[in-house]
Parts: sequence; C-alpha cells; structure tokens
Amino acid sequence: MLETVHFTQAAQYIGAGMAIGFGAIGAAIGEGYAAGIANESLSYRPETSGDVIRNMLVGQAIAESAAIFSLIISIILIFSEPSQQFILFAWIYISAGLSMGLSAIGSGIGAGLTAGNACHGIVRQPGNSSSIIRTMLIGSALCQDPAIFGMVVAILLLFLDFSSVPLYPGWAVMLGAGLAIGLAAIGPGIGCGLAAMEATSGVARNPVTSTNTNRIMLIGMSIAQSTAIYGFVISLLLLFTSHEESVTLTASLGLLGAGLSAGFGGIGPGIGEGATAAGAVKWISRSRENTGILTRTMLVGMAVAESTGIYALIVALLLIVVL
Amino acid sequence: MEELTNVPQLTMQISGFNLVFNTQTIIMTWIVMAALVIFGFLATRRARLIPNPIQVVAEMLIGIFYGFTRDALGEDLAKKYSPLICSLFMFLLLCNWLGVIPKLTEPTKDLNTTLGLGILGFIIAHYSGIKVKGFSDYIKEYFQPIFFMAPLNIIGELAKVVSISFRLYGNIMGGAIIILVVSHLVYSLILPPFLVFFFGLFVGSIQAFVFTMLTLVYISLQVK
Repeated sequence: MLETVHFTQAAQYIGAGMAIGFGAIGAAIGEGYAAGIANESLSYRPETSGDVIRNMLVGQAIAESAAIFSLIISIILIFSEPSQQFILFAWIYISAGLSMGLSAIGSGIGAGLTAGNACHGIVRQPGNSSSIIRTMLIGSALCQDPAIFGMVVAILLLFLDFSSVPLYPGWAVMLGAGLAIGLAAIGPGIGCGLAAMEATSGVARNPVTSTNTNRIMLIGMSIAQSTAIYGFVISLLLLFTSHEESVTLTASLGLLGAGLSAGFGGIGPGIGEGATAAGAVKWISRSRENTGILTRTMLVGMAVAESTGIYALIVALLLIVVL
Repeated sequence: MEELTNVPQLTMQISGFNLVFNTQTIIMTWIVMAALVIFGFLATRRARLIPNPIQVVAEMLIGIFYGFTRDALGEDLAKKYSPLICSLFMFLLLCNWLGVIPKLTEPTKDLNTTLGLGILGFIIAHYSGIKVKGFSDYIKEYFQPIFFMAPLNIIGELAKVVSISFRLYGNIMGGAIIILVVSHLVYSLILPPFLVFFFGLFVGSIQAFVFTMLTLVYISLQVK
C-alpha cells in the first residue's frame, strides 16, 4: 500500500512537471516572436512606439494564457492529496499533465504569431489600430481553443471518479485520452495562428475589407480546429465508455493506439488547413471582389487536407469500437 | 493553500432535489449587479447636454459597443443587440475587477458563472439565427459542406460554449492561483499588489473584452 502512495505521488510530480514544462514551450516562442516583430517594426516608424508596445503587451498576455492554464493544472497536481488506493491514479496524473502540456504548445505559438503581425500592421497603418487590435484579439483568443480542450480533459481526468475502472485496460484508456487531445491540439493551434496572422496583416493592408477578412478567418479557423475536436471527441469516448477488464496486452494497447492515432493524425491537418486559410485570408484583403471564389477554393482545399485527419479518426474509432 | 479548494456552499433539500448554492459567488454577483444598477442610475438621473463625469463614461461605453455591434451585425440588428453586448461587457469587467478589492473575490472564478454566460450567448446566437434565416435554412447550415458532417458541426457548436467559458474561467482562476502562490512564497511582501493589478485589471479587462467580442462574433456567424 505504501508503494502505491509513493507511485501516485511520484506521478503527480511528473505530471505537474510535464504540464508546465511542455506548456511553457509554445507561449515562450510566441511571445518572443511577437516582441521581435514589434522591435523590427519600430525601426521603421519609432514614433508609434506607444501603440506598438501596448499592443505587444496585450498580445503577449493572450499568448501567455495557455501557459497559465498549464500552471493551474500543475498546481492542482502538486497540491492534491495522493492518498488514493489505486495505482490507476498514477496514470491519470501523468495523462492530465501530458494533455494540458502538449495542447498548450500550438496555442502559444499561434497567439504569438498573431500578436507579432498585429504590431507590424499598426506600424503600417497607425490610424487603423483599433480594428487591427480587434482582429488580433478575436484571432488569438480563438487560437487558445485547442489548449482549452486540453485543459477540460485534464480537469475531467483529475476530478471525475475513476475508482471503478479496472487497471488493465484502464491505464491505456487514461494515457490514450491524454495523448489524443494533447497531440491533436498542437497542429490546430499553430494553424489557427497562421490564419489569424494573415488576417491581421490583411486588415492592416486594406482596412475596408475588415468585415470580409474577419469572417473568412473565423470560418477557416473553425475548420482548422476540427482535428482538435476529433481528438477531444476520442478523449471523451475513451473516458466515458466502459471497458471490460482484460489482462491481455492487446486490448490495452489497442485503446492506447486509438489515442495515438487521433493525436498524431490531428497535427498535420491542423497546420495544413491553417496555411490554406492563411492564403485565402491574405488574398481576400487584396482582391475583395473575388471573395466568393477564394472562399470556395479554400473550402475544397481544406476538405482534401482534412481527409487524412478523418482517416486517423476512423482508425481510432475502429480501435475503440471493434476491439 | 486551502483557499483553493475551499468553496463555501449551501445545500438545500427542495422536493427531493439536492440544490447546492455557491454562496460566495452569489453574493459577489449581487454586489456587481448592485454596482451596475447604481452606475446606471447615476449616469441617467440628471442627463444633460453638458454631461457629468459618470454620464461621460456611460456614453463612451454605449458609443463604442454600438459601433462594434453595427460593424458586425448591420444597422437594424445593432439597435436590438447593442444593449446586450454593452451590458455583458460592463458586467464581466466589474466581475473581473472585483478581486482587486480585499476580501472580495471574482464571481468569474467560479465555472458556473462563466458557463452560464456562455450558454446564454449560445442560446441567443441560435435563437437569432433561426429568427433571421428561418428554421429550414438554419438546419441546412449543419449539413454544409457535405451531409455527413452534421454530427461534427453540432459538436463544433457545442465546443464553442466550452471554449468561451473555460477561457474566461481559466484566465481568472489562473491569475488568482498565481497571486496566491507568489504571496505564499514571498510572505505577502512587495510583489502581490503588482500581480493583483496585472491579473485583476489588465488581464481581466482583456478577457472581458474577448468574451464580449466572441459572443458578438458567434451571433454574427449565425445571423449572416
């Protein structure tokens, strides 16, 4: 029994370390990028420094929120009681840390990219800073969505009662749930950042088109996020379907494989669709009259890029349902 | 550290149901509401052409948010929705700023508050979508681009509620946790007031604005 307590406590500390360790990567890269672009832009037009520095700080504060979510999960992990009698809780703590930490990487980078280009845009069009800041705030806040899904899964793992789940597929279920959303959130976070980044540049280039640009950015981002939602759905499916106890390794590894499939399968489509949306948004601001054809091409391109994510989702569902 | 897990609750038995009230959150929400009512009363009591300072603040807020709503929804709908958007912002701003005052806590630190506001935005967005487009066009939206995407579109809509409410909750709760941990580490010397102002005033304002803007954006996506 003492051994179990030691194991769960060690797992709490490992989970806490992974949550904030991975979670800090993205936010730091994003904030550094934003500050770098702000410096570069200020060299063109130093007299706008007040506006640019204010915007840089606001953008960095938003990029930081993914790391703040990771910090919450770390602190909860460090200070919650390790008195559980079950070795399964060790896997739950590690998985909560992984899901929060990994999912925060993409969101931090994405929000930082957006903030950087907004600083550049303000230097280009100082008179239009309010609509640039508004596009940046909406765009970078939506970049946080994948990290929020990761936080929701981590909170569910930590606060739901899993004491009736058998250990033997249970450890794979927990780890799979954490990895599914954690990995799947990396791509969409970066992809949404690419779309929002070009949208802020576009609004700065041609402020008249801001309504159109924002609208296409939102549509593009919501499709780019769909693989994060697949990962989220697979995590919830793993957590909320009942699994029979079986000591064979195949059943456990099948469920872990489902999580890995949805997780890794979500990285590529997220980034790719983000790049598609970025292209569409960029050119809509330059040729507004072609919005219709650009939107249509964007949707078709995204549907094709999405297909690999859907294959991963189908394999994950097969592994959960059939095995 | 026990402040983190300690939530004052009141449990009532009404006709077989266990109703749990988070008393602190309710009291704080009532304080915010009272402050807003007093602000509204003072701003409109003696409205004049040469305004008093409170009237200036109120007119500025209404003007800014009317502008945002008009940009997103168009002239007609803006008259109907701008009071909602403006009061949502004022409520959230005061909620997030309340923690700056000692002994008071932010109602938005409780997930129930933010989730409630998220569901409110969701219902309003979908109601206005049905009203403007008609029911059949509204249903057709879910089968875009291909019919078998319908379940994923529905999950995507529900995920918006989750993300909007957890974003606000996570940021405010995170700020509170950082303040608590740092105060504990430095024995409440020097640093905590700066952190309170950064997380309470700065991050609180940004998140109130983001929540309001996203509610507006979700309404505009349904309406158009």
